[in-house]
Amino acid sequence: MNKSLLASAGVLALTAGLAYGQDLMFTPGEGDFSWDSYDAFAEATDLSGQTLTITGPWIGADGDLVESVLAYFEAATGATVNYSGSDSFEQDIVISIQANSPPNIAVFPQPGLAADMAARGALTPLPDGTADWVRENYAAGQSWVDLGTYAGPDGADALYGFFYKVDLKSLVWYSPEAFDEAGYDIPQSMEELQALTDQIVADGGTPWCIGLGSGAATGWPATDWVEDLLLRTQPPEVYDQWVTNEIPFNDPRIVAAIEEFGHFARNDDYVAGGASSVATTDFRDSPAGLFSYPPECYMHRQASFIPTFFPEGADSDFFYFPSYAGLDLGNPVLGAGTLWAITEESPAAEAFVSFLETPIAHELWMAQSGFLTPYAAANPAVFPTDAQRSMNDILLGATTFRFDGSDLMPGEIGAGAFWTGMVDYVSGASAEDVATAIQERWDSIQ
Amino acid sequence: MSPLFQGIITILVGVFGCVGYFYAANLLLDKVIFPARGPNIGRNINRATAVRPWLFLLPAILALSVYLVYPVVGSFWRSLFNRSGEEFIGMDNYGALFADDVFRQALFNNALWALVVPAAATFFGLLVAQLTDRLKWGNIAKSLIFMPMAISFVGASLIWKFVYAGDPDIGIINAVRDGLGLDPMDPIQVPFWNNFFLMAILIWIQTGFAMVILSAALRGIPEETVEAAIIDGANPFQLFFKIKVPQIMGTIVVVWTTITILVLKVFDIVYTMTGGNFGTQILPSYMMTLMFRDDGRATAVAVVIMVVVLPVMIWNIRQAQKEMR
Amino acid sequence: MDNIAGQNNSLKWAVNITVALLVVAWLIPTVGLFVSSFRDRDQITASGWWLAPFSVELTYRTRADDAAPRQEGDLWIVEGNIFGTGEVADAFASGDASITAFGVTGRDPAAFAAGTEGENRDGGTLLVMADGSYRYTSTEEPDARGPRIYFAAATPPDFTMDNYQTILTAQTADERAASQAQGATFWDLLFDEEGIFRNFVNTFTVTIPATVIPILIAAFAAYALAWMDFPGRGLLIAAVVGLLVVPLQLALVPLLNLHNRIGIGQSFLGIWMAHTGFGLPLAIYLLRNYMVGLPRDIIEGAKVDGATDFQIFTKIILPLSFPALASFAIFQFLWTWNDLLVAKVFLPSDDASKVMTVRIADDLLGSRGGDWGILAAAAFVSIAVPVIVFFTMQRFLVRGLLAGSVK
Repeated sequence: MNKSLLASAGVLALTAGLAYGQDLMFTPGEGDFSWDSYDAFAEATDLSGQTLTITGPWIGADGDLVESVLAYFEAATGATVNYSGSDSFEQDIVISIQANSPPNIAVFPQPGLAADMAARGALTPLPDGTADWVRENYAAGQSWVDLGTYAGPDGADALYGFFYKVDLKSLVWYSPEAFDEAGYDIPQSMEELQALTDQIVADGGTPWCIGLGSGAATGWPATDWVEDLLLRTQPPEVYDQWVTNEIPFNDPRIVAAIEEFGHFARNDDYVAGGASSVATTDFRDSPAGLFSYPPECYMHRQASFIPTFFPEGADSDFFYFPSYAGLDLGNPVLGAGTLWAITEESPAAEAFVSFLETPIAHELWMAQSGFLTPYAAANPAVFPTDAQRSMNDILLGATTFRFDGSDLMPGEIGAGAFWTGMVDYVSGASAEDVATAIQERWDSIQ
Repeated sequence: MSPLFQGIITILVGVFGCVGYFYAANLLLDKVIFPARGPNIGRNINRATAVRPWLFLLPAILALSVYLVYPVVGSFWRSLFNRSGEEFIGMDNYGALFADDVFRQALFNNALWALVVPAAATFFGLLVAQLTDRLKWGNIAKSLIFMPMAISFVGASLIWKFVYAGDPDIGIINAVRDGLGLDPMDPIQVPFWNNFFLMAILIWIQTGFAMVILSAALRGIPEETVEAAIIDGANPFQLFFKIKVPQIMGTIVVVWTTITILVLKVFDIVYTMTGGNFGTQILPSYMMTLMFRDDGRATAVAVVIMVVVLPVMIWNIRQAQKEMR
Repeated sequence: MDNIAGQNNSLKWAVNITVALLVVAWLIPTVGLFVSSFRDRDQITASGWWLAPFSVELTYRTRADDAAPRQEGDLWIVEGNIFGTGEVADAFASGDASITAFGVTGRDPAAFAAGTEGENRDGGTLLVMADGSYRYTSTEEPDARGPRIYFAAATPPDFTMDNYQTILTAQTADERAASQAQGATFWDLLFDEEGIFRNFVNTFTVTIPATVIPILIAAFAAYALAWMDFPGRGLLIAAVVGLLVVPLQLALVPLLNLHNRIGIGQSFLGIWMAHTGFGLPLAIYLLRNYMVGLPRDIIEGAKVDGATDFQIFTKIILPLSFPALASFAIFQFLWTWNDLLVAKVFLPSDDASKVMTVRIADDLLGSRGGDWGILAAAAFVSIAVPVIVFFTMQRFLVRGLLAGSVK
């Protein structure tokens, strides 16, 4: 929750000052866009006089971005789209569903909430064939189908959510100049990354900047670390069962992943400021060390939104947080995304889902900012920067995509005990004890 | 300038709506329902007099019952149900709380806060009040010490985060340590003692409050008692502890309880400084982590806070009733 | 009386010094943040605020791009002045900095003292003088963007209003520059829909009725409890005192649900009522204590003269209770102004209806956690009004408080 908010705050800062109120951002027919998909959709769909209401978590400049895309849906179909964003979307959508006045489409930042709503019968399954479409057209398609498939009120599984707009977490940020001057190469595997870490220490530097501080949400950056490392040491099934607590939190495999994180974070030589500074350094503050002279650190693992917090004019780049070459687990990618679900059925709502299946719907947002997609047919040439393009490549190259596990766990765990447990861990508690405490908390809420 | 205009309109509507009620209600009572004229003038006046207190009290009673009494009762009732609010589980939430290490720690820390903060704030307040009593620049000193009262808890937390910062180029505490040749440390992470560093913030805020009240109380001490003590040869310390303090004991207790009540409500400082990590959790901020997730348990924490406050509340009511007589 | 302490001169000194120390201790935290709010980010992290008036040695990186490389025999030579190079020209526009050391790698940015010649990464040499002039030689043609040079320079203190402008317009320096290039003035940005001025107005929209309404309601109730006889009076007073200690957090969940059910939802009306409810016990308690202390004969006299209770209240009690009313008003104003929690729960969360504290906590602290200068400015923007109110009104505050709690 907190993360997605911060991410959107970042996007907001990036895009503030973009033009408002323009009807169509990009002139149809121009540029690298797949306009033929737009024309085909426009021809096949006529919704004149109909209204489509959409509620989502984006407000401010972010809200303008959504609306710039929705404008094309309006232009193509003749329908009127009313988008309203809310900062406390999670509460608002529950209230409006209870009050029996839901929008046609709701955009959920967390699959857990959507699953809840599906079980209450508040969501309508997506049109037949959508699951097949996602499976075939999205990179790691099955992962996306699974994330959007829930049990309905009758207990039958169906695809309820369509993922559109994805964030990437498995990234390591660095300063190309610092790497260049020190003669370091981008590590291609976890083994190389660990060797590089030791190499930097041997050269008299400090390899990592890690900061878990985030006010009341202190600790969340560590949960991403642990999730990423679990995906790199265990098959994705283990991750899935861990997220649903079929595998307990204090299972040796999970504890090992926490200790793997400790390998980096609890070593005074590896972390800028020493291990004791990890828990209190603000996560927004910590990447600044990459860009100081002499560098306080050389690498920083964080999601795609973090450049917003880099010092002005910082020259930065990133690489994929690599997987172990020695373990045959493919290239897993950790991320998050927003899930679009039908909360009140109408022809326009169904048509909107097919709009999301067109490449143009993705490209229109790609060409602006803050948008990645696993949709292979969307043309990456429309990305305005190389950085966005290579991030999207990581997403497309993923053999496994997994959603941020802490967002899938119950709030008390994923946005509570897990956070504080990781703070305890980096301040000296043993991984075993921390994991057991989190599991006890989980037991107590079941 | 439309927001400004809207703001002014809403302000006017809100304020005049309220004034209008009292005025119209009184008018109605005196002129229409029980007019002070006609054949039943005497009975009408008596009736109006009997009704009027309730007229005056009605908005207050309504607001108090809806905004305070109802939540207290409602919270207690809610705390007997499970997290979804559908199943009655009796005292299970309380059982689960007391089995939780974090909750027990929060309870212990809260007890520490409730003891240390009022004591320290009252002590410093009394100290400053006495010392500045005869000082030429006493009023300026008092104003400056009183100033933190105007700062929000969030603002105060920010100010103190800066003081406690681990970088000796930012935090003054670590700069001093650096100057003395000690390694920088993070005050917020020192087990157990970090609680006291957080309490310092609230003491910093509340000392001014204690000082103002105690300073006025000191001035209210009859001169004769002080002069008599001086003639008897009391030194300034004896004068203060043996003569002055006993006379203002009542005020000291009032200040003490007022700050205690406040301590049990404040969550912002812990929430913004540590988020309850590093063993600094207290009940109100612990409750915030549960709120909107498991309302059953969150309200159970609130009820525990109420129970902790109960002795202070009873004592307060006793005092008030004593005054009445 | 002065002679009592005066008998002992050293004691007088001790008192003065102790008070001075206490005042300093109480002020230091605020002063530190205040000074920092005028410094830029680099200076804050480079030296403590207590060193703010002095030059700071900062390390910079730049590219030697102010002169084209020329070729002399085998050697490529770049000569120019560091202070004129693109990346740092703005930072040194004032021109009174001097270079103390320089280097050719970020790892060792101050490897060579100014005025000495060092070896660069291309196998040539680099010489940088204290005044910024440099000479770079290499056997290979330098990078088209210019070779990198790191240097440490003593930078004079730079006090700026930049942080405040950023806070007030909710735009970074770059965004402001972009908007101003399009012809917008600072004032346009300030009063813009997106700017914080709107939130500032919202705060007043919340605080003024939320201060006035409880005072009115409480004043009537306090009068009834102090001067009217009716059954159940003692019980009511006890209830008010008891409610003083109800923790606020307890009320949030049930009340938000209630507001949603009766259709108020999240709105200004809802937050006024909430603040009114939460402020009432203290208001009634303070005002009743004060009113009870008013002279009985005035009120009885008025009654004999045939004044109604309503008249007595408006003509006699209200004017006489002014200090208590003012003191509670200040209290309630400070409390509603500084409140974050109630505003977050009871107001809608769109930008247009946020109050200052929420805007600062959510938008600014959320996206600029590490930027102390911005945080400090944000804190002082939100502190300014309450502190002004407080200093101008503190006489009343003290007087009213005394009536309420000293008995």
